[in-house]
Amino acid sequence: MKRVPKPVFFIVALLILLLAFTSIFGISGQNGDNPTTYIKGVKDIRWGIDINGGVETTFSPATKTKATKEQMDSAESIIKLRMVNNNITDYEVYTDYNHDRIIVRFPWKSDEKTFDPQKAINELSATALVTFREGRECSTQTTGSDGQPVYQNPKGVTASDIILQGNDVKSAKPELTQNNTTGKATYQIALQLSDSGTKKFAVATKRLKNQTISIWMDNTMISWPTVDDVITDGNCVINSPNGFSASDASALANKINAGALPFKLTTTSLNSINPTLGRSSLSAMKLAGIIAFALVALFMIFVFRLQGLVADISLLGQVALMFAAISGYFPFVHSFTMTLPGIAGIILSIGMGVDANIIAATRIREELWAGKTLDLAIANGNKHSFSAIFDGNITTAIVAIILMLVFGPSNILSAIFGVSTTGTIYSFGYTLLVGIISNFVFGVFTTRLMTKSISGFRFARSKWLYGGPKE
Amino acid sequence: MKTFHMKFYENRKIFFSISLAIIAIGLIFNAIFGVRLDINFKGGAMIKYSYMGEIEPAKVESIVHKTVGRTVSATVSKNIKSASSGQTLDNVTLSFAGTDSLSVANQQAIQKSLDQVYPNANFQIVESSSVNPTMGRSFFLKCLVAVLIAFLLLDIYIAIRFRRIGGTAASVFAIVALLHDVAMVYFTFVIFRLPLDANFIAVVLTILGYSLNDTIVVYDRIRENRRLLGLKAGYGGLVNISINQTFTRSVYTSGTTFLSVAVVFIVANFYHLNSVTTFALPMMIGVLSGAYSSICIAGPLYVMWEQHKVKVRAAALPEKHEKAQLSEPVSAAKPASETTAKKEPEKETAVKQETPKQGGKPKQAAKPRPKSKGKQKSKGKKKKR
Repeated sequence: MKRVPKPVFFIVALLILLLAFTSIFGISGQNGDNPTTYIKGVKDIRWGIDINGGVETTFSPATKTKATKEQMDSAESIIKLRMVNNNITDYEVYTDYNHDRIIVRFPWKSDEKTFDPQKAINELSATALVTFREGRECSTQTTGSDGQPVYQNPKGVTASDIILQGNDVKSAKPELTQNNTTGKATYQIALQLSDSGTKKFAVATKRLKNQTISIWMDNTMISWPTVDDVITDGNCVINSPNGFSASDASALANKINAGALPFKLTTTSLNSINPTLGRSSLSAMKLAGIIAFALVALFMIFVFRLQGLVADISLLGQVALMFAAISGYFPFVHSFTMTLPGIAGIILSIGMGVDANIIAATRIREELWAGKTLDLAIANGNKHSFSAIFDGNITTAIVAIILMLVFGPSNILSAIFGVSTTGTIYSFGYTLLVGIISNFVFGVFTTRLMTKSISGFRFARSKWLYGGPKE
Repeated sequence: MKTFHMKFYENRKIFFSISLAIIAIGLIFNAIFGVRLDINFKGGAMIKYSYMGEIEPAKVESIVHKTVGRTVSATVSKNIKSASSGQTLDNVTLSFAGTDSLSVANQQAIQKSLDQVYPNANFQIVESSSVNPTMGRSFFLKCLVAVLIAFLLLDIYIAIRFRRIGGTAASVFAIVALLHDVAMVYFTFVIFRLPLDANFIAVVLTILGYSLNDTIVVYDRIRENRRLLGLKAGYGGLVNISINQTFTRSVYTSGTTFLSVAVVFIVANFYHLNSVTTFALPMMIGVLSGAYSSICIAGPLYVMWEQHKVKVRAAALPEKHEKAQLSEPVSAAKPASETTAKKEPEKETAVKQETPKQGGKPKQAAKPRPKSKGKQKSKGKKKKR
C-alpha cells in the first residue's frame, strides 16, 4: 500500500477543524463603523418563516373570470411595492398565471413588537390607489433598500390636486423605442386613457406644460415625468432621458395598471407563525442536533475505536460543509432559506452520514479478523467498500433531487398543479442532498487519508484500535 | 469478532406475519378512524392562541361560533415549554370544522370578540393556518404525483442496477420491500392518528431512497457470495450468509440514523413542536422498516422465488435428473421445512453468467434433501475468521 505521510492526518484534521470553526462562527470584522462579514457563519443563515416567524399567504382575484397576465403582474407589483415600503425586503413572491394565485411569504420584522399577521395581510391586499398629481412635492424622503431615494406622502399642491385616478387609465404598456440621442433601443411606457381621463388630462397638460405631473401608488411616488406636449387624444408615452430598461418599464407599467385593476385581491390561504414559537423551535432543534451529534460520535468511538475517532472528525467536516452550503460560506453557493424540516434534514444526515465510515470500517475490521496485516486490511477495506458507499448515496440523492424539484418555488409540477404554498420541505431536500454530497467527500476521501496516515504511527499500529483482535 | 448466524430464511414466516399483522392493524385503524388529511391538503382553518389566566374551552367555542357561524373545537394545552426562554405558555387551539378557509376579516373578528370576553387573557396568535380547499387539493395531488415520479425513477434505477444482481424477480422483490415501507410509514400516520401532511410525503420519499439502498446492499452480497461460495448451502443458506454478513452494517447504519431521528423526536415532543414530531415519528418507523424489509422480507422472498422456479423446472424436466450430478452436494442446505423438503438445489436462470465455478445447472429432480440443522455455521464462512 502506498504510504501516506504521517503529518497528513494532522493537516487534514486541522483543515476540518478550521472549516468547522469558520462555517459555524463565520469571520466578520469592523470596517470603519460598519460590521463586515467576510465569511458567513451560522448566524448569517436566512431562516424561513417557521423559524423567524412570519406569514405565508395566497392572494387570488375576487372574480369568477380569469385574470389576464397583465392584471396578475399588476397585482404582484402592488404587493411588492408595499413590501418594500414596509421595509420588508426578505419577501418571496410567486405568481401563478394559470391558477390566478399570488403566493407571498415574508418573515416577521424583528423590530416589530406585536405580531399581527391579519393587519399585515390587509395592508398588502388593499386595493391600490394610483393617482396622477400636479408637481412633485412630498414630505418624506428616505433611502430604499436598493439605495435609490424613495419619495412619500404628497404635500402642498401635489396633495391637493389630483389630476387622474387609477381607473382613468385604460392601459399602460412598455414599448420599444429608439433613443434620439444615443440611437440605442430602449423602452418607454405607452399610456392609453379612458374618455373621461382623456378630457381631464388634456386640460391638465395644457395648464402644466413643461411642468411635472407625478404618478403615485398609495402614498409613494413611482414616477415624475415632465409634460412636453399637450395631450388631447388620451395617448401618451412616459420616457426617461436615457430610456428605461425593459424591466424598469414593465415594472412601472404594472404599477400604473394596478390602479385600474377590475378586481380586489382576496386571501385564499394564510399561514402565520409567531416569532416566539419559531425561536423556541430553533433552540430545540439546535439542542437535538448537538445531542444527536454527540451520541453518534460516541457510538462510533465505542464501536470502531481509533477508526471511529477518525470518522468523527470526518463527520464534523460533513456537518461543517452542510452549514457552509446553507449560509452562503462559499461565494459561488447562494445562501439558502432554512426551515425546521431543513434542520431535521441536517440531523438526519448526521445519522445517515456515518454510513460511508461504517461500511469502510466494518470491511477493514473483517479483513483484520481474517488475519490480514493492518496496511493490507485498510487498503482492501477501502477498495471493497467504495461501490457499496456509492450505491448507498445514489438512491437517496435521487429522492433528494425529486424533493427539491417538487417542493421548490417553481418546479416541474407547477405547470399542472400551480405554485405550492408549502416551501418548508424544499430545504429538507436541499440539506439531504448536501448531506449526501458531503458524506461522500468526507466519508470517503478524508477518512481514507486520515486512516492511512495515522496508521503510520507506532502507537496506532495495534489492530485492536481498528476493531481487530487483541494481539 | 462476532459473526451473526441468524436464520432469516427459516424464520420468514415469523417476519411475514409481523409485517402482515402491522398492516392488518393499520387497516383496522384505517377502517375505524379513517385517515385525516392536513389542512394544507384538504383545506380548512386552524388558529392557535397563547393566553394568560383561565379560559373555558366550551365558552370559547360558543363565542367563536357566534362570531363567525362556524363550528369549532377548542383544545387547551397548558405549560408549553419554550426552548429559547424559561417561560411556559398556555395555548388554545381552535380547529374549524369543514374545509373552507377563514377570511382575514373573520380572523380579526374572532380575536376581537375573544378579547372582549377575556380582556386579561392577552390572546396572541401562535400560529394560524387557513387554506382554500381547491388549493389544498391541488397541492395534495402534486405531492402524490411527486411520490409516483420518485417511485418510477427508482424503478428505473432498480431495473438498471438489478440486471447484474438477480434480474426481474429481484427487482420485483425490491419494489415489494419499498411498498412495504411506504405502507409502514402510512400506517404510522393512521395508527397515531396524525393528519397526512407535507411531512408524510417527505418521509415517504426519504424512506424510499433509504430502504432501496439497504436492499441493494443485501442483494449485492448475495451475488458476490454466489460467485465465491457457489450454491453448496442452497439458496436459503446463501441468502442467510449474505444477510448475516451485511447485518452488522445494516444494524449500525440504521442504528445511528434511528438514534438521530429519535433525539429529534424526543426533543420536539418535549417542546410540543408538532410539525417536527409528525416528521420524526414516521421517519423513525420508516428507518426501522427500511432495514427490516430488506433483510426479513426481500431476502427470504428471493429464496422462495428461486426455489419455486427450481421446483417448476424440475417438474417439467424430470428426465434431466442425471445432470444434477454436476452440481455440488446438497448436504447441508437447510432444515427442510415442509415447503422445502423436496426442494432442489438451485439453478440459475436469470444469473447464469455469475457463477463461473459451476459447470452445469443443478437439476436434481425430486430428491429429498438430507435434513441437517445448523449447517451453515460450518460452511460458507468467507472471511469471518
